[in-house]
Amino acid sequence: MKAALFCTTRYDGPASHSVWPAPGDTYSAQWAERSMQTTLERFRLADEMGFDWVTVAEHHFAPFSMTPNPMVMAAALTNVVKRAKVAILGPDIPILDPVRVAEEIAMVDTLTQGRVIAGLMRGSPNEYVTYNTNPAESRERFEESLQLIKMAWTERQPFGWQGRYYEYRTICIWPRPLQQPHPPIYISTASPESGEFAARLHLGAGFAFTTVQIASQSAKYYRDQCRLNGWEPSAENIIYRLAMHVAPTDEQAIEEMREAGGGLPSVGLSFRNRAVESAVASSGYYGRDIETQRARLQSRGELMDRIDKGQVLVGAPDTVLGQIKRIRDILGAGILDMVVASQLGDKATRAIELFGTKVLPRMQEL
Amino acid sequence: MPAQQSDSVPVGVEFSESFVEADGFRIRYREAGSGEVLICLHGGGGLRISRAHELLACSRRLIAFEIPGFGQSPVNDRSASMEELAGTMNAAVTALGIDHYSIMGNSFGSKVALWMAILRPQAVKAVVVVGPAAIRLPNQGPPPGRLAPERAAELLYAHPDRQPPIPPLAPEIVAKQIALSARLLGPPRDEPFEARLRALPMPVLALFGTHDRVTPPAGAHLFREILPNCHLVMVYDAAHGIDADRPEAVAAIVDDFLSRGDGFLVRRKSGIIYP
Repeated sequence: MKAALFCTTRYDGPASHSVWPAPGDTYSAQWAERSMQTTLERFRLADEMGFDWVTVAEHHFAPFSMTPNPMVMAAALTNVVKRAKVAILGPDIPILDPVRVAEEIAMVDTLTQGRVIAGLMRGSPNEYVTYNTNPAESRERFEESLQLIKMAWTERQPFGWQGRYYEYRTICIWPRPLQQPHPPIYISTASPESGEFAARLHLGAGFAFTTVQIASQSAKYYRDQCRLNGWEPSAENIIYRLAMHVAPTDEQAIEEMREAGGGLPSVGLSFRNRAVESAVASSGYYGRDIETQRARLQSRGELMDRIDKGQVLVGAPDTVLGQIKRIRDILGAGILDMVVASQLGDKATRAIELFGTKVLPRMQEL
Repeated sequence: MPAQQSDSVPVGVEFSESFVEADGFRIRYREAGSGEVLICLHGGGGLRISRAHELLACSRRLIAFEIPGFGQSPVNDRSASMEELAGTMNAAVTALGIDHYSIMGNSFGSKVALWMAILRPQAVKAVVVVGPAAIRLPNQGPPPGRLAPERAAELLYAHPDRQPPIPPLAPEIVAKQIALSARLLGPPRDEPFEARLRALPMPVLALFGTHDRVTPPAGAHLFREILPNCHLVMVYDAAHGIDADRPEAVAAIVDDFLSRGDGFLVRRKSGIIYP
């Protein structure tokens, strides 16, 4: 199995984590700068410890994550992360210019000498408000944008694009991706529609902040669809994202994780603005599996319950390795994308160190 | 989910039908609109007026020929080559009293269109090729005309369910059209033809459907590499029947290209939301 460290670049100063957009009246440039340096240090540490990937993602208007453009953080990492792959999981492509996304990923792929993983995402419901995009068109925009990005990476002659949502007269990007024909592409495949699309286009599958049970059902559907499309995904085609905290003993790890509020915010980003979430839901954004998708995003519980659901890895190294094996057995994921509880400060950093020395070598042999 | 059906509002353009004599052939054509002339050449399936043709006829005079040997016309064993057939089609245009024109050719018709432009470079203002079979990668898929209607629909359209059924053609018409297309289309790479294309002076717009399995977009680069002034455009979510799958998208870009030539690269639509 492979391990990825995901840092959202959480704003570590005092700020509201219960509303979206979060007002900037408590914002401090010093806290923001310090938080970004912490992220860079953690990524540097993860790289030194042997993590296979480091992960960045796009979120807007919230102290939960200060990487509204993950490409900028990925570019910064080219000077920090010397060995690990840089997973951009990802740009929220329906709200972005696809040609710009293709250019930026190609650029980071070249800067990292071909170490980019391209996660092309739809983004959480609230992100549709960010640049004033109609969420009803999210899936169609997503599918078109992804195919345009692929063509921008692979077609060497200038070409125009006459789409439904995107129209360009001539495209020919420089630089081009170093990895040929293009960096590995993953999409979030929580919904059946996404599973079908990923299977059809031979894309990797990602599951984030869900439960291992829900993800395993979606993964089964994705694998079935891949078979219908004539291919068999490997474990490395499946990423599972969850929270992680390791300490020398189970008791200490659990106590520290409780201190951090269980490793996940009490309210998911999507539900910090109920009016927005509800309006996005009524637009058809979630697709035909709306109940499961909304339940998944609201699935929060007590810490032990979260461990049981595979939402967090918590404990001493041996315990965490057992939790990882269980996830592998149920889900068959080849890559775990782990986010540490940034609010724990140095303890979160030590968790990366401890994971790197005591868990990672054994996990990589699984 | 957003609506995708394109044919909800009729265009309201009526096409008339006439015949013109050229090189001893009696050539059927359908016509609508007024203004600058766009000559249309159909693919291997024969003459068909699509919604894209109707939309284009709103801003120009559109003449869609039935190539001799297609449809109800007699077997054509006289056109010895694509070059000769193109000469006949140019003669038909002249017989209609037209001096200057643009040409749009679909699939098989793309090669007729390009030969017409090679033969009359001073008269032809611009060429549009749609799902063009004129230059092909080796081992491209079978022409849809050789398949049963259901299979042909699957190959022709990205969304066969959104298309009206393909009207069944009499077997002798199908056989006649297939034989003529196969005889005249030539090899995937036709060196003498390509040599002439390399000197073609007018701009060419080449449209490829992103889901086309007959003339797939993987072969699009050949047109850019061979033609001195070619604009490639991928029409998203369209298969080989590009103008049937995405008529508005096809008509809009063809109209813009024909109206503004190479200048169509520069957007002129306003970005103002509220004045």
